[in-house]
Amino acid sequence: MRFINVISIRKSTIILLMFLASITLIYAQHPQQSAREEHAARSAPAPRSAPAQRSTAVVDRANHGTIRHVDTQVIQRPAVAQRVAPQPAAVQHAAPHPVAAEHVAAPAQRRNAIVHRDVDADVGRAQHWHSFVYGARHRDLRAGYIQMYVGGSPYYYDDGIYYQQLGDEYQEVYPPVGAGVAGLPDGAIALQVGDFVYYYAGGAFYVQQDGGFIIVAPPIGAMVPELPPGSVQIAVGGGVAYQFNGICYRPVFMNGVTQYMTFMS
Amino acid sequence: MKVINRTINLITHGLRPAFVAGALACLMAVSATAEDMTNNIVAKPAIDPHADAMLRRMSDYLAQMQYFSVNAEVWQDVQLESGQRVQAGRTIEMQVRRPNQFHAAVHSTRRNRELYYDGKAITLLNRAQNFYGTIPAPASLDEALDLAMERFGIAMPLEDIVVSDPYKSAMGKVISGIDIGPVTVLGVPCEHLAFSLGTVDWQIWIEQGARPVPRKIVITYKDEEDSPEYTAIFSNWDFQNKLSDFVFTFEAPTGAMKIDVTEIKSENQEQKSEGK
Repeated sequence: MRFINVISIRKSTIILLMFLASITLIYAQHPQQSAREEHAARSAPAPRSAPAQRSTAVVDRANHGTIRHVDTQVIQRPAVAQRVAPQPAAVQHAAPHPVAAEHVAAPAQRRNAIVHRDVDADVGRAQHWHSFVYGARHRDLRAGYIQMYVGGSPYYYDDGIYYQQLGDEYQEVYPPVGAGVAGLPDGAIALQVGDFVYYYAGGAFYVQQDGGFIIVAPPIGAMVPELPPGSVQIAVGGGVAYQFNGICYRPVFMNGVTQYMTFMS
Repeated sequence: MKVINRTINLITHGLRPAFVAGALACLMAVSATAEDMTNNIVAKPAIDPHADAMLRRMSDYLAQMQYFSVNAEVWQDVQLESGQRVQAGRTIEMQVRRPNQFHAAVHSTRRNRELYYDGKAITLLNRAQNFYGTIPAPASLDEALDLAMERFGIAMPLEDIVVSDPYKSAMGKVISGIDIGPVTVLGVPCEHLAFSLGTVDWQIWIEQGARPVPRKIVITYKDEEDSPEYTAIFSNWDFQNKLSDFVFTFEAPTGAMKIDVTEIKSENQEQKSEGK
């Protein structure tokens, strides 16, 4: 009997000690694990390529240069793009061939919101098409021009400027809707209007199609960072606006910088 | 022989509990040591106390100044439509009168604009095209900065040093910070501090000595393509000149045309609305 008691006491002691030890071990490991997780969460930077954050199409930082608002994600909400009837150029040729929406290839893949920030580099650099003057005549075209037909009428194209032959000279004309080019004019500016991506240069709005780019009717409600060259100031509803090839551009401050919204007067 | 047997018996029976207890005590000691080590890892702060203290000192210094003006040269990485990355530069001349007046003139080769805040309204002036636009604004500078950014997408220049509590504003989401050490910025001895928000890193160079003002700030956007950077280098800090009202009061230049300031809702704003 005494032997059994001794055994029981010994076993109880061992079990009690093991229990205490296991609690201690568990206690030591648990905070260790959670603390490490917390430490890692606080100190480890997020992966460089955080696809979830980059895949948002129309959301982007409003601007750079602020820590306070580093996470302020601005959603661009321009008016929904409306395709308007193409405005015939004021030259003697057949009416430009309208590009029906269904004929335009699927819009270019959405990219991160196109924010034209308050910097010089992205817009305003002198391009060939900045020299466009409607009606200006030239005896010769620069080397490398392209001849094309739009709606059955012959045109000549040189880096964002379109010409038609007038006697022995070439006259600068408005960009004809339906004209297709293999590459965008230098300095064309990407714009996101509704679900579409347009490329804007010299008052023309291009969309990507069949490996090239085609001029479409200007979308109403588009915000462009600069006026078409040669646009004319007009008064609309007591405010100021500018007109180019039948489309009006109203200046507004957007994201803190001046942009111009297309509308029909 | 009996002695040997008794000794073996004592070891195998009599000392077993003591042996087990000793082993467990060792285990407990080891686990306690592991716990201590763990505590040491946790206790080590992610933000270097020295870096934290230096930033707080700069913040307190700026916050207590009722007037100040400063110039900054800003360089910002921009990706052209061609995909090429370039830096765009501009200069900023800024004046602040706490608690609710602000003016900044931003100049670059092709742009020339100003922002006014007089405690009642924010006015943007595009001097190059002679346009201006005005939006009503709250009575405090902090609220005005938030409204400008969150509802109109307007980043008031250098707002991180303009807010009433720069430390609190900047450190809210910081997860780590270190003191890189002393370095000079344009010949001025500074302390170089580096902080991280995880996806965005920022660095600040604070002037050493009695006037702990920022001399340079770099923000790196690691979550954007090619990790573009924004750099501001400060000069001409002035805390002596008591800035007059006219500095902050907008008067339309001759021939200036008023245009709309487009409101742009932000996720932040929407989240705030949803949270109400």
